[in-house]
Amino acid sequence: MGLTRRQFLRWSGASTLGAVVFYGCNIPDEELQIESPLGMPEEGLALGAENWYATICGQDAGTGVLVRVIDGRAKKIEGNPDYPMNQGKHSARSEAGLQALYHPDRISSPKYRENKSGEFRDISWEEARQLLADNVSNGGTAIITDPLSGHLALLVSKFAEGSGATHKAFKSVEEAVLAKVSEEVFGEKRLPDFDIANSKYILSFGADFLSTWQAPVRYASAYGEFRQGHSTRGIHTHVDPRFSMTSANADNWVPVKPGGEGVLAASMAYVIIRDGLAPSSIVSKLTDGEGAEHLAKFSPESSEVYAATGVDGHKIEELAHDFVDPHNQPSLAIGGGSAGAYTSGEFNLKAIYTLNILANNLNKSGGVRFNPDSPLESLNTDEVLAAGRPATLKEISELSSSGVQNVIIRGANPVYGLAGNGNFDSLLDRAKFVATFATSMDETANSSNLVLPELNYLESWGDSIPNPGPGYQILGLQQPIVTPFQEMARSFADELIHLSESLGLGLISQLQINDDPTIRGLVRRGADQLWSEGRGSVRADSADGFWQGALQRGGWWDVDAKRVSSANISKMENAWPSIEFGGEKGDGANTFNLIPFVSNSLLDGSLSNLPWLQATPDPVTSVTWASWVEISKQAAEEMDVTEGDLLELSAGGLKVKGPAYVHPAVPPWTVSMPFGQGHTVGEYAAGVGENVMSVIANMVDNGTGSLAWAATRVSVRNLGNSDGERIPKFEGTVEAYEVEERHILQITGPNGDSHGHGAH
Amino acid sequence: MLRRKYIFILGLVITIGIAVLMVHVALGFVLRAWWSTPFEVLGFGGSPEQPVAFPHTVHAGTAVLVDTDGNPKLDLEGKEIHGLGLDCTYCHRAVTEGPYASVPPVEFCVYCHKTVGTDLPEVKKLLAAWNNSEPIRWERVHRLPDHVRFVHEAHIRYFTNPENTLPSGEHAMFASAVCSTCHGDVGSMEEVKQVRSLKMGDCVDCHRANNAPTDCTTCHY
Repeated sequence: MGLTRRQFLRWSGASTLGAVVFYGCNIPDEELQIESPLGMPEEGLALGAENWYATICGQDAGTGVLVRVIDGRAKKIEGNPDYPMNQGKHSARSEAGLQALYHPDRISSPKYRENKSGEFRDISWEEARQLLADNVSNGGTAIITDPLSGHLALLVSKFAEGSGATHKAFKSVEEAVLAKVSEEVFGEKRLPDFDIANSKYILSFGADFLSTWQAPVRYASAYGEFRQGHSTRGIHTHVDPRFSMTSANADNWVPVKPGGEGVLAASMAYVIIRDGLAPSSIVSKLTDGEGAEHLAKFSPESSEVYAATGVDGHKIEELAHDFVDPHNQPSLAIGGGSAGAYTSGEFNLKAIYTLNILANNLNKSGGVRFNPDSPLESLNTDEVLAAGRPATLKEISELSSSGVQNVIIRGANPVYGLAGNGNFDSLLDRAKFVATFATSMDETANSSNLVLPELNYLESWGDSIPNPGPGYQILGLQQPIVTPFQEMARSFADELIHLSESLGLGLISQLQINDDPTIRGLVRRGADQLWSEGRGSVRADSADGFWQGALQRGGWWDVDAKRVSSANISKMENAWPSIEFGGEKGDGANTFNLIPFVSNSLLDGSLSNLPWLQATPDPVTSVTWASWVEISKQAAEEMDVTEGDLLELSAGGLKVKGPAYVHPAVPPWTVSMPFGQGHTVGEYAAGVGENVMSVIANMVDNGTGSLAWAATRVSVRNLGNSDGERIPKFEGTVEAYEVEERHILQITGPNGDSHGHGAH
Repeated sequence: MLRRKYIFILGLVITIGIAVLMVHVALGFVLRAWWSTPFEVLGFGGSPEQPVAFPHTVHAGTAVLVDTDGNPKLDLEGKEIHGLGLDCTYCHRAVTEGPYASVPPVEFCVYCHKTVGTDLPEVKKLLAAWNNSEPIRWERVHRLPDHVRFVHEAHIRYFTNPENTLPSGEHAMFASAVCSTCHGDVGSMEEVKQVRSLKMGDCVDCHRANNAPTDCTTCHY
């Protein structure tokens, strides 16, 4: 019997397939192995068995997490279903906490050098404590931390008070404007919270609340309710000069001219008042009886309004009517992010939040709410609340001229985050002694005399009162999930208590923690106080029982302890805002507004050293492991730019480079670049992309002195792409197509003109 | 001519016969592996080669130890050496507390072998692992599929309770006796191998005999 070529191929194909199938059925060798661990487990620990512990996430503000621990090691981080802020949801940022815990860059021992440019040498903790005490006792100390809450905020504010030190909370992309506006529009010390889930119409300005703004996990999950949880689908309009993740999710995106958000909101307020669509009692308070006349200069017909916003008058009228339409109630206005980051930032946010007053949604379901005071009175003082409020650029700049001798930094990286702004470099240069508490080396630790290894949040005690909170009283608890991965690392709070004792400040007796003079003792004392209230999510017969119960659930909260905010409506500002830009002057060719944005995964750069987050694709562009410049199709055609071409953005002598990402949804007058890249220190962060902050002009919001990070104009130069470099991205690996039954409803042009998809 | 035809038919019958036999052997092998433990050929079944040839006979057994030639091992006084007879739970400590029996940490072995048998080749392997801070990767002998949850602790708790009885009518008072119900007399095995099929039928039979629940979710959850 002859074997034809075809039969041979068929048989060999079949046998190859068979081999592959059989190989696939096989169990991988490593699954058939059991690893015998090296050392003995702790007493009572069952090997191989998993445990889940509740704590607070240190990487995604306000998130409660459950951590899976096997054989004493943290293996997985997930959302805590009990925790009110995120109710089981979590982000990639939370999940990457494991990489921060096991990071190769973690500092293994205290390091010291006399000269800030010399070589570090390892020292003992005894020596490090002595150095801290000796220098701080000389006075003139500034403490710079991340924004703090709960008992750590209390401890730091008491320490500052006792030792005469200045404390500033630092965040490079801060929202100090919102805190002030919240106080001025609503008379509230805390940030506003939004009942997105029960709203019917959301009008957001600049705040990328589905990606990074405030409590994105909480807002994104409420957004699901808003869209699908009710019989009518909520409508969302987003006003933003950049096509962000929130813009992409909105029904209607209004690409406003940078800085014109407040004028747009004031113009809407004018229309609402003029057409009698708001309660007259509110209108008369807002305008001091003047009525629409008070805001006449913001009339949508005005050419100045058009020039400032780029939004057509009819569109403004339509937006205003939609916002107060009875079918769309309750409606909600949210403002933040880039909307507050201009010289007109305070005006913008005030005008935006005043829309909530006009829609009369305060304290209502689907409206604006405020968190009540904590039942722990000691945490409600102005000093403690101030410890959680990011300092403005102005306040940071003032430090350098206030005779600061010693700087203690913790959980903040201002050397990277300010990139030369706010005179921070000169503050460090002039200071005699700079000590940094950090888990891993970063740019700021690298500019210090003393570097102290700090415990990761999965290794230490703490607590949190989220701001904005869930609308009722809450205290989240942070407990050590695992034994410290770095044996020499210590808790910042515990070291601060020790330092206060060396300085003789008497904090231990003042805070009544003589039994357990640590942050654990302080948190425990607060928990005992909550137990004695006998209400809320955890109740127990004994204080010990309460403590265990609260730790198991991730904290304590009382859903009934809400607050009715009594907003004291004051007269609305009607002076035309001054919208100025730094950087390149004039409207020359190739000059654009630079709208930087907080990276969805790396945030302002604090998480850039975690490879999982570097590898997480940006939600709009799908880019990974890079920084890039978003430029409109139109501008790209004019400048002959194609994707991957290196663009140089320059502003008044400052320069930053990035590959072009040509995008049809970028307004022709802006370019955008993410924050977070361009680190010089860090195993995985250094050498990736460039830091957009280094080109941001030193402009501040006129009202608050906060950094106006969206108020820079840059000139763009195409450096070409001779090496044929490509942007690392996911997009384009699968062919795009329009789902047949889901047509694009409407595309809104930059001038407010709109056309249906069917028009083509 | 006729003879050639017969030879051809005979050849055909033999060929088909061999083919059918081979198919049956293969089928038999698969079926045996399906219902019970596989035949110990071609690396299937039996005892896998372990990184350290740990003898359960020495540690867990009580019988007289024999050398490779089958002669009893004698101590310096000429007496026969017996196995130590350690309880299973002495090393597999987590078995009474959690789902997994757990293998002992290297440190645990070193507690004795720091001084005992340090010149034996297998003990040298153990000490080398300890000195180099390397875990030992044992080859699994018993493995249930991923969709089954078997919790050792519950089974040991049931059978060590004097109020309960084994299917044989005996009271199992010691955890080690419970272990051998499924794992066989490990103390007599130079190299551990699986002795029961541990298929679902095996589990269900035993559950029925002991009035244990047979709901799907008892094991599949």
